[in-house]
Amino acid sequence: MTTVGAVRELMLKRLETELADSDAKRDLEMALEEIDVMWEELQGQAALLVRENERYAEFFEFAPDAYLITDAGGKIREANQVALELLKAPREQVVGATLSEYIAEADRVPFLTRTVGLLLGAAKPMAWQTRLQPLEGEGFVAEFSVRAIPLKKSGVGGLCWLIRAAS
Amino acid sequence: MAAELEDLKRIWQDLKTQVDELAGERQQYLDFFEQSPEAYIVTDNAGTIEQANGAAVDILQRRRAFLRGKPFTVLVALDQRNAFRRQLAALGAEGSWRTIIEAWESRTEVALTARRIAANRGICWRLQASS
Repeated sequence: MTTVGAVRELMLKRLETELADSDAKRDLEMALEEIDVMWEELQGQAALLVRENERYAEFFEFAPDAYLITDAGGKIREANQVALELLKAPREQVVGATLSEYIAEADRVPFLTRTVGLLLGAAKPMAWQTRLQPLEGEGFVAEFSVRAIPLKKSGVGGLCWLIRAAS
Repeated sequence: MAAELEDLKRIWQDLKTQVDELAGERQQYLDFFEQSPEAYIVTDNAGTIEQANGAAVDILQRRRAFLRGKPFTVLVALDQRNAFRRQLAALGAEGSWRTIIEAWESRTEVALTARRIAANRGICWRLQASS
């Protein structure tokens, strides 16, 4: 990331030989100096965001509840540890799958209807019970709480699912 | 000089794009953590509070600025502290127990669920008030 500094040096060197007007030369030097300061600031901002995101990512991964993040179409973008334990499936298999694949077949249509309703309606959180079908073993009734969340990078609307085995 | 300016612009744009992406990512995490209806706090391994979300602040009845950097133990009622310390010291990968949070002379019974962050990077807690 020293590249801006390198380009700046190069420009300063060329200034020496190409620009005769000393006022213009000074102006340019000052502008380059400013760019250098702004660059440092931008780098600092990036480093801070990286650190903060790392900490938040750790919290998401090790939160004591099962969380999935899907896009509006129900495709799973992220799954944390507890969610993988609940679905009894490895991450490679969960991420990229659609959430309805893990819903018991008989419950899929009502599940999708509710999800579509959620996407069309208000952003307030809602919760309902449905049968979950893990990759292995018996299905069980789970409570799904869902709320809207922006997706990473794009910022478009996604869904954040909290899943708990119903007691 | 035009070529160098182009270089400068491109390098700048690359970092700016990276910062924007990181900021988008951060926004998702903030929304996830802060707006969760569940009460969560993050502590280090010794139980010192790093972060508490809105729902946790409601249960703990303390301001966020007060919470940051405080040992979780100071929020626990005096008569429960020894038991709390024992549970914390015995915590493996995950665990849950009940305790009583005391603030302004009001006692709240709370169910705690704790899960350790990998590589000993701290503990994630969920608090559920029972009353």
